[in-house]
Amino acid sequence: MFLFVLRRLMGGLPTLLLVTVLVFTLTRVLPGDPARLLLGEEATPELVAQIREELGLNRPILVQYADWLWGLVRGDLGRSIRGNELVAPIIWQKLPTTLELSLFSLLVAIAIGIPAGVLAALRRNTAIDASVTVMALSGISIPNFFLGILLIYAFSIRLAWIPPSGYVEPWVDLQKNLLLMLMPAITLGTALAGAIARFTRNSMLEVLSQDYVRTARAKGLEGRVVVYKHALRNAAIPVVTVIGLQLGGLLGGAVVTEQVFSIPGFGRLLVDSVFNRDFPVLQAVVLISALAVFLINVLTDLLYAAIDPRIRYH
Amino acid sequence: MKKWLAAVVLWSLGGLGLAQTVTVGLDADPPNLDPLLSSALVDRQVQNQIYDKLVDLDENLRIVPMLATSWRVEEDGKVYVFNLRQGVKFHDGTDFNAEAVKFNLDRYRSAPGSRRSGELSLITNVQVVNPYTVRVTLREPFAPFLAILSDRSGMMVSPTAVQRLGAEFGNNPVGTGPFKFVERRRQDRIVLARNENYWQRGLPRIEQLVYRPFPDDDVRVANLLSGAVSIITPVAAKDLATIRNNPNLVVNNFPGIGYQGIWLNHTKGPFTNKALRQAFAATIDRDVVDRVVFLGTALPSNGPFPPGTLAHDKTIPVPKRDLALARQKLAEGGRPQGFSFTLTIAPGPVLAQLAQVYQAMAAEAGIQVRIEQVEFGTLLDRAAKLELEAVAVGWSGRPDPDGNIYDFVRCKAPNNYSGYCNPRVDNLLNRARTVRLPEARRDLYSQITKIIQEDLPYIYVYHPQTTIGVSRRLSGLPVIPDGILRFRSVSLGGQ
Amino acid sequence: MSNRTLRAFFANRLALAGMVMLLLLVLGAIFAPILVPYSPTSTDFSALQQPPSSQHWFGTDQLGRDIFSRVLYGARVSLAAGLISVLLALLLGGLIGLVAGFYGGWIDDVLMRLTDAMLAFPFLVLAIALAAVLGPSLQNTMLAIGVVTTPVFARLIRGQVLTERPREYVQAAVALGGSDGRIITRHLLPNILGPLIVQVSLSTATAVLAEATLSFLGLGVQPPTPSWGSMLNDARGYLSQAPYMALFPGLAIFLAVLAFNLIGDGLRDALDPRMKK
Repeated sequence: MFLFVLRRLMGGLPTLLLVTVLVFTLTRVLPGDPARLLLGEEATPELVAQIREELGLNRPILVQYADWLWGLVRGDLGRSIRGNELVAPIIWQKLPTTLELSLFSLLVAIAIGIPAGVLAALRRNTAIDASVTVMALSGISIPNFFLGILLIYAFSIRLAWIPPSGYVEPWVDLQKNLLLMLMPAITLGTALAGAIARFTRNSMLEVLSQDYVRTARAKGLEGRVVVYKHALRNAAIPVVTVIGLQLGGLLGGAVVTEQVFSIPGFGRLLVDSVFNRDFPVLQAVVLISALAVFLINVLTDLLYAAIDPRIRYH
Repeated sequence: MKKWLAAVVLWSLGGLGLAQTVTVGLDADPPNLDPLLSSALVDRQVQNQIYDKLVDLDENLRIVPMLATSWRVEEDGKVYVFNLRQGVKFHDGTDFNAEAVKFNLDRYRSAPGSRRSGELSLITNVQVVNPYTVRVTLREPFAPFLAILSDRSGMMVSPTAVQRLGAEFGNNPVGTGPFKFVERRRQDRIVLARNENYWQRGLPRIEQLVYRPFPDDDVRVANLLSGAVSIITPVAAKDLATIRNNPNLVVNNFPGIGYQGIWLNHTKGPFTNKALRQAFAATIDRDVVDRVVFLGTALPSNGPFPPGTLAHDKTIPVPKRDLALARQKLAEGGRPQGFSFTLTIAPGPVLAQLAQVYQAMAAEAGIQVRIEQVEFGTLLDRAAKLELEAVAVGWSGRPDPDGNIYDFVRCKAPNNYSGYCNPRVDNLLNRARTVRLPEARRDLYSQITKIIQEDLPYIYVYHPQTTIGVSRRLSGLPVIPDGILRFRSVSLGGQ
Repeated sequence: MSNRTLRAFFANRLALAGMVMLLLLVLGAIFAPILVPYSPTSTDFSALQQPPSSQHWFGTDQLGRDIFSRVLYGARVSLAAGLISVLLALLLGGLIGLVAGFYGGWIDDVLMRLTDAMLAFPFLVLAIALAAVLGPSLQNTMLAIGVVTTPVFARLIRGQVLTERPREYVQAAVALGGSDGRIITRHLLPNILGPLIVQVSLSTATAVLAEATLSFLGLGVQPPTPSWGSMLNDARGYLSQAPYMALFPGLAIFLAVLAFNLIGDGLRDALDPRMKK
């Protein structure tokens, strides 16, 4: 088992290295001089040249890459061009916020998606099945920023039940934190709920048609027992994998959701750093996103392998 | 450790509403609190609470004493002698004196990375005459000098703190101002606490000042409406009605000192032709712009100097829209059917709206405007290289008229995005900054304005006003046209 | 694609609904210049933010422009963006997948490593970063989305090639001395068409959504050209005064994406040999 983990991680290293190259190239190709942007309307040619020197932007590109990579290994993500503070603390500050949002959204998605999927599978080819499918597809199709705006309109503007935006740390005011997270979590979780519902349905259908289930039914075991003990447990495996695969999409969705609800999280950092041409922050954000997806994939594989021994020995 | 504890205590007290805390909503997170390195205007909002300057501005943009109690000007404007306020201490307990002033000015002039060196380039020497007198010598007379000392170049930081903290000073700023820096969380908040030993007895009145950045207009307003913040600036025009409708809030418009408009490139594109410049300029209806985009909160402009500033000349008319004139100029310029050009703007909803309004108005005369949105840094870069045909960039403004024009329409000036070069104008500009009599200066600036309204390196469209949305509980906020909120004398009333 | 597949597809009511929606959208987009009562960019400063009425079916926006006209023209942008980016991904990804699958060996290794690296990034994160790098414009948006979608097609086609290659008909063609190109086009392609079309439909849904998102963030089409995403972004500031500014563009995006998803879904079900109705 341990060997499997090791091999999996090692195998991913070349890919990770390629990822760093891609990230670095991406941000260095960005048009626009960060020195200029930093100085804004007060830029003079001398100041611009001076800042470029200070930021090390004039060194050969390979040197800059090597420097950056070496820093990464040491955990140094550089300094923000805009405010001159270290990037790593900014990320550690904001990542938990997005993690909280993602977790909350995941809970919402599972709470809605799995029961819906099970229901649809049990009542297949009925109106219920069709409506679940339509709702699931709608959830996947609706742009999450539109959904967010609709929710804000309904619950903040018309009904004034919930403030439209903002964020409070959970340790400052847990109640407020959860209240403010509610609409964003629904917004972000809806698409995932749709995906989970459909996958759960298909997975359940597959399992329900298996021989051993039919045998159990034939033997007269009560329907419910059959469902819960056998079908659900076996259907869970592929569902877990799907959740793992979709989590990457959650990160992308978080970017827009945080924009709509003005949550100062990791996703917001991406948009801000893009508009500020803040290379170091942008690099760090994109890199960590890739790392997160990579780790989630590894975790999902591990989960899968833990459950299904055949996988480990390939 | 102690600072952290103090912050937590203050924070929780603030949460309980016991401490007198005013929370301010800004539109950006100030990147740099060290005046040496600061180049964003929003920095000044916070800096003005932490630091005092040698001199300050009053409601009429006149220079008034601050850390300098009086001064005299000698040798025809080449020497300034300042008498300093006594008994003032920095937040770290060290004394404010002439040595500190010399340290600060020398630092701004020559420390690496200084963004202030250009402004102070005419200083040749700073001399400590006695512990409370400083003598500054300039290479030549410079009328805007005091105005410059009313801004970042005049902010006095603690020499001890700079020497101790070095590059980290910006994250732990120490000044003599009414509020002390407590702590900051990037993109979240900056917390300042009352300076109990402030040299103005009885001030400040509030105990804590917190700044929070809300780049999103809607979020900023939402926070004001919910009471999470007591005051916000700026306020987007579309949110004005919402605030006015709230019985607990009030909107205040301050006149500003800046301007906004469009640069026209004289070196390439259709605007090398003066008649075509005048044709396009004649299609702009400033009243419509003000009404549609700013809902009446902007001031149509007649030139670089807003009403209320020294050089404003109300005898110079605000250009009116004149389609007939536009068509006549088109014919004169050899393009009776019209022409097309690219207008480059920075991203932003207001700018996008503005550009589309210009586009619609110009189209009626047959002038096709193509809008190009370019990220701000690139835009400035390309504008400076004279690569853009027309670019909509304004200027936030400076209290002295020289600051609104010298670096803009002079030959080869750093912010001259037109390539305009008129020796007569240069001559007038140089005279205006050495002459000291205000009436004489105003006359010179009026002459300059008339020339550039004819030559059109720039079309001055409107003067933005500073809008703030504020809780009625807040009182004592001075209305000073530089747009900086000074919280020294502010108090917060009851519920 | 066999008759059985087509019949199964059209029997699926949801898929049919999707096709109808798509048809309406496409027709609306193509005939927009004839259908619109106003030009999508003409302003009317005397009619700012009017609610829906008989003169302006969807109301007017903050510059007095007719929203119905803008939504129709926005369809052109969204559909073009969706289809062209997927086409790009198909061509690029197809090339990569075919070469990797057919030739194998180190070529396959390198190409798949590259694809893996790209797949390591969340789709939207990479699209945003790329679009920002290239500069905000419609063409660059299509390019960015196309590039980010490429790995999906590369993998799909490679997988299909690997499955089909050992099959007898391919071996036979190879043995008979057919050229590589011929084998690919004559023999492989028809057999992988099915899953390919499903993916095209589903990826178009994602692409339309991605374009709307990028425009929403200001990275897409430039004003005054209407795009559903940028219209939604403009509408955000006026939500309490003029909610209809957000409603119609948002609905449009939703319906377009839903249509492609329904079609893709229907195709997948129709092609699935294990479907028991």
